[in-house]
Amino acid sequence: MQGGAGLRREGGRLVTSPVTPDLSARVGNVLLKNPVMSASGTFGYGLEFTPFYDISRLGAVIVKGLSLLPTPGNAPGRIVETPAGMLNAIGLQNIGVERFVNEVAPRLDDAGAVYVANIYGRTIEEYEAVARRLSEVPALAAIELNASCPNVKEGGIAFGSNPQGLSGLTRRVRAATGKPLWVKLSPNVSDIGAIARAAEEAGADAVTLINTIIGMAVDPRTRRPKLSNVTGGLSGPAVKPVALRMVWEACKAVKIPVVGIGGIQSAGDALEFLLVGAAAVQVGTANFRNPNACVEIIDGIRDFFVREKIFRLDDYRGKLLLP
Amino acid sequence: MPSSSTGRYGRAMPQGSPRFVHGKILHNTGSGIFYRMEVAIPERIDFVPGQFAMVSGWPGNDPLLPRPLAIFRSGGVRGKGTVEFVYKVVGRGTALLSGLHAGDPLALTLPLGHGFEFPGEDRSWWLVGGGVGFSSVFPAAAALDGQRADFEIFLGARTRDQLPPGEWIPGGAVPGRVHLCTDDGTAGFFGTVAAALRDRIDRRKPTGQGRLAILACGPREMLKTVAEIALPLDVRVQVSLESHMACGFGVCWGCVTAVREGEKSGYRRVCKEGPVFDAREVVW
Repeated sequence: MQGGAGLRREGGRLVTSPVTPDLSARVGNVLLKNPVMSASGTFGYGLEFTPFYDISRLGAVIVKGLSLLPTPGNAPGRIVETPAGMLNAIGLQNIGVERFVNEVAPRLDDAGAVYVANIYGRTIEEYEAVARRLSEVPALAAIELNASCPNVKEGGIAFGSNPQGLSGLTRRVRAATGKPLWVKLSPNVSDIGAIARAAEEAGADAVTLINTIIGMAVDPRTRRPKLSNVTGGLSGPAVKPVALRMVWEACKAVKIPVVGIGGIQSAGDALEFLLVGAAAVQVGTANFRNPNACVEIIDGIRDFFVREKIFRLDDYRGKLLLP
Repeated sequence: MPSSSTGRYGRAMPQGSPRFVHGKILHNTGSGIFYRMEVAIPERIDFVPGQFAMVSGWPGNDPLLPRPLAIFRSGGVRGKGTVEFVYKVVGRGTALLSGLHAGDPLALTLPLGHGFEFPGEDRSWWLVGGGVGFSSVFPAAAALDGQRADFEIFLGARTRDQLPPGEWIPGGAVPGRVHLCTDDGTAGFFGTVAAALRDRIDRRKPTGQGRLAILACGPREMLKTVAEIALPLDVRVQVSLESHMACGFGVCWGCVTAVREGEKSGYRRVCKEGPVFDAREVVW
């Protein structure tokens, strides 16, 4: 047994020990050993991180967006560094759901990882088909619906940029799978609360946000956009204040859990999202800079709780003190 | 080339798992337009020539991403290692790197990528470096020199001052083996490294040409020209490509290049399937 006020059970009796805070988190009925997950698209299929650390230490691994068929992605000129951030327009290059189910999922099982599959489709039918196939993976903890990729027309943003579109998509995928369904929201909308409510009313078990913010970079000399896709998604520390505000608004708008994403680089950043009400967080771009980012953030949260004498995540989460 | 150890210059061995380490700069000194930086790291790493590291050492979030640098040399014993890089200032990241001093901390992920291959049927090697590209082929030259293998080096630069110092050249600047080329004729061959290579390949005896292998790193245009010259002569060409990359270990999918896959083409990661590719596969 972990957590509690310095008491733990050992061989049937209670012994005192240095306080180990209980970091366990819950996203709907998905239990996580801690609130830190990897964000889709920044963590490959998870196995790429096994040289660096034991990926079962994470709350969950969210794998790269999967489509029905393998997808080649956009032409090169896919990333640009921007002040305290980066733009990407990868175009959802991926191996397709079938290879994931047959080749990757068993290895994630072997690694002891809790994993969630991010999915997208060009049509609602494709979303349904991917969700149905993934439902056959016993250990898969949840499906995260990508209704917000800004870099391909079919990447869901067509569905995710207004409440009606999102509601229709969520309802159909909800009916196609018995797995917990998380819906990843785009920040490129005027009212994030309305979008989050649409997902909730359509049967989502959780919303995750934010996906990247649409941005652009051009070369003044060549007069060309720096990305082959012209526009791309902004991520990294530059987006954190926007993400935090939107997560806070979403938390106020819905009763289902909200998973906070956007520019989290440190335990302090993660704590901010938890404080405004996020049930858990996802760490994305930070993984590029430091492959150990997720586990360093987990350790940092634990150290903070020890220092601040916080015994469990729920004693801290959502406890923002407003003026 | 046998896959035995080749001392401190790395090994032609199956390519090992990367790790993330914190190091400390031992020295970081300028030499002409190049910097040479040696870093103490917690453990000895073995690398294949052509492999690289992702390196960052500046405080704060801007620039955000580490920079890819070819591994020039590694050394040390179990429990204590060193790694060396040669780089040129090309942007803000490398400019910040050049301002770091002995004792400054550095974060490194290494060794990364797929390096040069040395199949047994190759018997002589030509190593081609354009600009700072020599930093990727010199480790290969050093390994070959350690094997007393037959190799020649072609180095290209805009002008004399932009060539690497002679003492950095593995085996030394031996005339006939090392071909210096400058665009402005201030040193060595007057013209591009590709032109020098064409000149040399024409003078080569036709026999045994299948045993020649070319390993090249430099600007993409140069690599393309080298491939166009050598591939029709049945010479095996490996090219080390450059690309903007965010992670360096295969998860961001930002650095891809188009490669031939049978009749079609697809995108492969420069950081993972590369940076060294068989030139026949690359879609230029």
